[in-house]
Amino acid sequence: LNAAPGRAPRQRIRFLPTPAPGGGGALELVATSVPVLADHPLVRGPRFKKLKIGAGHRLDVKASGVFVLGIGHGNKLLTDLYNCHLTKVYTVGGLFGKATDDFSDTGNLVEKTTFDHITREKLERILAVIQGTNQKALLMYSNIDMKTQEAYELAVKGLIRPMGKSPPIITAIRCLQFALPEFQLEIHCLHETQQYLRKMVHEIGLELKSSAVCTQVRRIRDGVFTVDDALPRTQWNLQSIQEAIQNCQLRVETELEKTLA
Amino acid sequence: RGLCVPAGPPSTRQLREAEEAAPVFQYAGKAAKRKDRVFVWGFSYSGALGIPSFVKPDAGWKKPRRIQPTPYRLETDEKISSAACGYGFTLLASNTRDITKVWGMGLNKDSQLGFQRSRRDQTKGYEYVLEPSPIPLPLEKPQQTRVLQVSCGRAHSLVLTDSEGVFTMGNNSYGQCGRKVVEDEIYSESHVIHQLKEFDSRVVQVVCGQDHSLFRTKKGTVYACGWGADGQTGLGHYNITSVPTKLHGDIAGVNIIQVSSYGDCCLAVSDEGDVFGWGNSEYLQLASVTETTQVNVPRHLPFKIGKVKEAACGGTGNVVLTEEGNVFVWGYGILGKGPNLIETAVPEMIPPSLFGWSDFSPDIRVAHVRCGLSQFAALTNRGELFVWGKNLRGCLGTGRMEDQYFPWRVTVPGEVVDVACGVDHMVSMVRSFT
Repeated sequence: LNAAPGRAPRQRIRFLPTPAPGGGGALELVATSVPVLADHPLVRGPRFKKLKIGAGHRLDVKASGVFVLGIGHGNKLLTDLYNCHLTKVYTVGGLFGKATDDFSDTGNLVEKTTFDHITREKLERILAVIQGTNQKALLMYSNIDMKTQEAYELAVKGLIRPMGKSPPIITAIRCLQFALPEFQLEIHCLHETQQYLRKMVHEIGLELKSSAVCTQVRRIRDGVFTVDDALPRTQWNLQSIQEAIQNCQLRVETELEKTLA
Repeated sequence: RGLCVPAGPPSTRQLREAEEAAPVFQYAGKAAKRKDRVFVWGFSYSGALGIPSFVKPDAGWKKPRRIQPTPYRLETDEKISSAACGYGFTLLASNTRDITKVWGMGLNKDSQLGFQRSRRDQTKGYEYVLEPSPIPLPLEKPQQTRVLQVSCGRAHSLVLTDSEGVFTMGNNSYGQCGRKVVEDEIYSESHVIHQLKEFDSRVVQVVCGQDHSLFRTKKGTVYACGWGADGQTGLGHYNITSVPTKLHGDIAGVNIIQVSSYGDCCLAVSDEGDVFGWGNSEYLQLASVTETTQVNVPRHLPFKIGKVKEAACGGTGNVVLTEEGNVFVWGYGILGKGPNLIETAVPEMIPPSLFGWSDFSPDIRVAHVRCGLSQFAALTNRGELFVWGKNLRGCLGTGRMEDQYFPWRVTVPGEVVDVACGVDHMVSMVRSFT
């Protein structure tokens, strides 16, 4: 960043004594525009000594996916995005037949169960119920008086959501793949932690009268940022970062205006 | 010597072997079937919920529970196929071939649950039945006849069987039981159960209004008897009728596939999707065809909302379900479109997004609609139950005591198959998930 050409130094008009043209001795004051010495790169030093980088929603060690960072002014945008309470989307992979103490496949085994009675239909039924109860929680934690006409209108449009602190809420959940004993779910949620998603997989296993552990948690969308915008390890260089920031700028601004207006 | 080596952390191979050697538990086999359950909620002091410990606590620490605000499981011996809620009492019926086919609980001051012999005094009967008690029906072939459906009104009940017609019991002061009105008849502790068989074809649906009864036969005709001062019998006069008589008017010759009533207004749906109404119209239920407040002849309601599949009548409001799965409401009261819509004579659609429809799940559709006196219930094809309306004594089952102005989900641990709404309580038949 420091190697990139910086701002040109400021110019200032100064009246400098120069020898008059033709005929020696007398000094004249001529107005010239000279660069300000205080702006000289050797006086000023490197433009960036340190960068303020802030992180968005947490992602734990065993999970992977989109992780939003803000640089400089971006930190203020990060707090605004946090207050927008946008949903995040995860793909969660699970495995039937085992139950462990930390709900993931690397924990200590607690129990093994059979799972041949599970069908995709039963799983989808359970997912529909989870979605239903969480929908109810969405309306309840949004702190809107249910008796008003505006609450009715927001509910029709589906815009009711908690704008403050609330326990984790799942707004939508569906099954992407089902091949016994493995399955994969897509979960849209608010205010959650990855451990809560693993616990959710465990509870789905219990509800189906078997047991399940979570093998993979991958965040594919965090508010307006999707996997397509995210930079993989090979692209962690200045050029791609700058391009990525420019691509997302417009989207972030429109989203903030829409929600916080 | 190397014999006593302290154990270190287990290696990967040891962990894998331990895991493979662990025993496997089986909680449900491949042929595990889903169980059928009954859930009740609402006002319990009348005994209508069927749980005696709510009214008379059987343990020292239990307190009487006046209202059950959320669904509570009712343990029954048999699988219940049909349920109906009346005004303070409930009937449950199973289509088994055993001797006991119908159970009743709640108010029994007019013998709407038949004669329930009191155990303390063998000559008297119970006025309040707190537990689902069998109702003895005078069947000719008790081990072959099946009970198809039950229905309850204010103080009378109807039981529909497949081969022995309709049995009626309870209050008959307006002829709603289909038998001649006897002056000064005492209805409490009465053993009278009347059997009705004279219809033009087999009866396939029975519906009770507040003090009248409607019968729908296989041929698509409708019969009525009972109180008619609001024209709810639809026979062209405002007197009482004590014998089931055929209805004419706009439904003559039309094949009716469903009738519904709960208060004093009645609706019928034909096989072509038309809606016919008669009865009380004080709350604008029939104001789209007439200005009068009582209509005593069935009139066709010219609504342009599409082909109607099912209709349900409440005390002051009505709801219909169309073939596309849209729900339309009209009438007076809390109709489900927010606190601003209190009355309308023309049906208004409730947006499907309130029933869980969204871009994420576009195939959710409402499958059935039901009505209580001032509440509405809708069942979706995913087995979710939505309720809205006046929350009289906790009958909505939402867990709160406030009125609900737009459809709200009731969390029931299972897939709701059917629901019966009463004045201040509701009964639902639920199937467990796995």
